[in-house]
Amino acid sequence: MTRFADLGVVAVLVGAVLASLFLSGPAASTGDVVSVLTGGGDQVTRTVVLQVRLPRILLAMAVGASLAMAGAALQALLANPLADPFLLGISGGGAAVATAAYIVLPVAHLGLVPVLAMGGAAGATGLVWYLARGPLGPSPTRMILAGIAVNAAASAAILTLLSLAHSQRLPGALAITMGSFAGAAPAQVLALLPYLLVPSVILLAAGRDLDLMATGEESAASLGVELSEVRRRVFLAAAALCGGAVAFAGVIGFVGLIVPHMARLVWGYDTRRLFPRVAVAGAALTVLGDLAARRLVPPIELPVGVITAVVGVPFFVAMLRRSP
Amino acid sequence: MSSLSARDLAGGYGRREVVHGVSLEVDNGMCLAVLGPNGAGKSTLLRMLIGILPPRRGTVALGGVPLTGLSRREVARRVGFVPQAVPFTFPLLVEEIVLQARAPHLGPWRPPGQRDRELAFLALQQVGLSGREQEPITRLSGGERQRVLLARALAGQPELLLLDEPAASLDVLHQLTLVEILTQAKGMGTGIVMVAHDWNLALRVADKILIMDEGSIAALGKPDDLPLAAILGSVFQVSVTEVDNPQGPPILLPNTLSGPPRDDREAV
Repeated sequence: MTRFADLGVVAVLVGAVLASLFLSGPAASTGDVVSVLTGGGDQVTRTVVLQVRLPRILLAMAVGASLAMAGAALQALLANPLADPFLLGISGGGAAVATAAYIVLPVAHLGLVPVLAMGGAAGATGLVWYLARGPLGPSPTRMILAGIAVNAAASAAILTLLSLAHSQRLPGALAITMGSFAGAAPAQVLALLPYLLVPSVILLAAGRDLDLMATGEESAASLGVELSEVRRRVFLAAAALCGGAVAFAGVIGFVGLIVPHMARLVWGYDTRRLFPRVAVAGAALTVLGDLAARRLVPPIELPVGVITAVVGVPFFVAMLRRSP
Repeated sequence: MSSLSARDLAGGYGRREVVHGVSLEVDNGMCLAVLGPNGAGKSTLLRMLIGILPPRRGTVALGGVPLTGLSRREVARRVGFVPQAVPFTFPLLVEEIVLQARAPHLGPWRPPGQRDRELAFLALQQVGLSGREQEPITRLSGGERQRVLLARALAGQPELLLLDEPAASLDVLHQLTLVEILTQAKGMGTGIVMVAHDWNLALRVADKILIMDEGSIAALGKPDDLPLAAILGSVFQVSVTEVDNPQGPPILLPNTLSGPPRDDREAV
């Protein structure tokens, strides 16, 4: 059963990538894409396919994988199925700092934006945890409420920054708020990889502890988990995943909520088994979301966060109604 | 050598100190039952004994080694803990939960093997839940969940068992099964500390009784050496009658005293 599911999710991702490559718009037809992929095509088509569409797809995959893994890790760490980088304000914290950096930094130092976004995401994570903590660990309700507070503060900061921003920097700063893969370039994809790969290794190493955390902090500590150590590693890994995603693609909500939840229904609760599958499913969701964002109301391109919210909000409401 | 010893242990939450200076010893194969009213500090004491809550003063030693000198994993390999309740937010399977006790023995990478599964199976059989391995925990009743947590602690084959009100949701039959399981564990040399609300259940298995009141020791000793009815009556503010029981220790029957009860202290 799970082997079919493994094949199924890979097939969906491959399908999403092909659809995105072939059906992204009039700039390159299906025939053009085929000829570029077989080594032909004119210079313009080659640029459209290899320098625009392909990096965009790869960036969407990396961001989707990052957000889905961050969601899976946070849900296990906090024993809270509603934990999501977007809802907890982690993406918001990253976005506020990324926006500030984008507006303030000289062009030569814009390469620092991802590191700073990671710092913002880490700060927001720490703040949410601090606000939600209790004598026996963070309470799920307080965690969501703390997320609302951090999100509100981040939104206020972003709006203030946008109103103060110089007009030249405004479009780039707005893209962080709206969530988009439009600016994808091969260099960005490469720059994002460490923000995906290093945290993935950290999370895989913490898999056993995360499984034990799913039954609460007191129980996990009694089973040998060094709580503060695991918390620190997983929070930092999640912050790096979200910070990288936000810096290169802006705020995209609900991927970290929907994907781990659906994946658990199919593959169960073994966190280490879940991570690679969640990454593939997250990648597929964002690639499809991006395709929809580009093709639903042409020639206008919607923010991809709108598409994930259209799917994610009803999903969140359904989960809220099911929660005790 | 004592399996577990605590010296002048004090601790609490935030600014509030809940336990003030408790010392105790638990030998291998011996059961210490901890009794006391709500908010007396029983669960807090248990959390300090397993090292989940760092004490403000005093020390805990496991087999003569201070807890502070042991990693959490080493402690978990030697001590099985049955918490009062666990927030089962995810519908993990019963077997997955019981196998969690094997995690400290396996380390971060090795998956559970045949032997681990056998131990999980035996533990579930002991608590009367064999055949339920593949059921999601969220479909089980409160009492069944408590038995799963007991099975989890047993599957770890600990040298010391700490139980926080393990019989709170159990029906009469499973309360007696619990007594049997704990008696068997004692026979195999396992030390036990059990926080209990049911005095009579505790007396069936305890070799020593610790009665706590407002965070301090009100009494500590062998049940036969203590005037239990008088101490429990005074601590719980009830009148207690001892009734002879030909099949075991005398049964302690509580009755309310006339007059208003004292204020409920906040349970922790």
